[in-house]
Amino acid sequence: MSAAAGPGLEELILLETLLGLKKGNKYSVREERKIPVLQTNNGSSLTGLTTIATHLVKQAKKEQLLGSTAEEKAIVQQWLEYRVTQIAGHSNKEDIRIILKDLNLYLEDKVYLARNNFTLADILMYYGLHHIIAELTVQEKEKYLNVSRWFNHIQHYPGIRQHLSNVVFMKNRLYTNAH
Amino acid sequence: MGFGNLRSAAGLRLLNDFLADKSYIEGYVPSQADIAVFEALSTPPPADLFHALRWYNHIKSYEKQKASLPGVKKALGKYGPADVEDSTGATTDSKDDDDIDLFGSDEEEESEESKRLREERLAQYESKKSKKPTLIAKSSILLDVKPWDDETDMAKLEECVRSIQADGLVWGSSKLVPVGYGIKKLQIQCVVEDDKVGTDMLEEKITAFEDYVQSMDVAAFNKI
Repeated sequence: MSAAAGPGLEELILLETLLGLKKGNKYSVREERKIPVLQTNNGSSLTGLTTIATHLVKQAKKEQLLGSTAEEKAIVQQWLEYRVTQIAGHSNKEDIRIILKDLNLYLEDKVYLARNNFTLADILMYYGLHHIIAELTVQEKEKYLNVSRWFNHIQHYPGIRQHLSNVVFMKNRLYTNAH
Repeated sequence: MGFGNLRSAAGLRLLNDFLADKSYIEGYVPSQADIAVFEALSTPPPADLFHALRWYNHIKSYEKQKASLPGVKKALGKYGPADVEDSTGATTDSKDDDDIDLFGSDEEEESEESKRLREERLAQYESKKSKKPTLIAKSSILLDVKPWDDETDMAKLEECVRSIQADGLVWGSSKLVPVGYGIKKLQIQCVVEDDKVGTDMLEEKITAFEDYVQSMDVAAFNKI
């Protein structure tokens, strides 16, 4: 639970609090590749961010966060995979640009990642993107307008933000002809 | 407040622009505000207004729970951008007027009456508007002014920059920021009235001191 916990671990602890689970799960980190590991009560262990996150959601009996229809479940899985494969550890500008561009296009006609319902995909993408969005310039936030709208929406979802900083979005657009 | 006439293309475009950076009409959860606007639309917005359409489809998914959504429904004029009036109801009336008129004389009297009423209201509105002090849009700008070399007299440079005076321009604090090789740039804050002073004009005037100034950049620009 210390600040020294890896990025994946911090997300899981935030998720635990959001879900209202009791603290006391034991986490550790696989040294070489920083993959979180959860020691379960019956002695076995779970590995990997999305595996553990899914387990926590089921433990909290909030299965609706995994999607309600078959299609929605698939979309949630799709974004969890995207979160782990595309966002984890990538910090070079070009990768970030591609991620934001993809996401901006995808969110153009959607309110949440899984269309109309708040899911685990939104939660983990929010935690995963927080440090990226927090560093964007005002101009970039406007350029990725759909991402900004989604992000601003999610960070106001009750209980999700916790100690993370509130990312400020301008109410009035400055660069009105930059589309 | 309002979106103009929500059944017209212009009103829908206003709604679309309004929703570009918002998920809901008010706040961060679906509420009766969304339902009120949703019900004012007779059909889904056209596909090219994708922000409005995204919102429409999202609110549609709440159709079954719409009575249990939080908030109290208000008149359409209570939502949307502050500088637009709502006229959704008004035009449906005028549509009726277009119908074949069976009682010509009656109608004329009525329309004269309504015309007088409208003019009265317009006059009232105008007088109210003129009483309101107009809000002056201001911006705070942070400028980077770069000298030619390390031998440029920075104090003189700053003096030159501060000597620029214009209506609606106020200079603020400044500091010297080292760039490297002993060269420092001048970082200076100023507040301008948007209508009166532009960055182009500032740049032109500052770069006019070509003995001292090599180039100028806008480091930050914030609306106040």
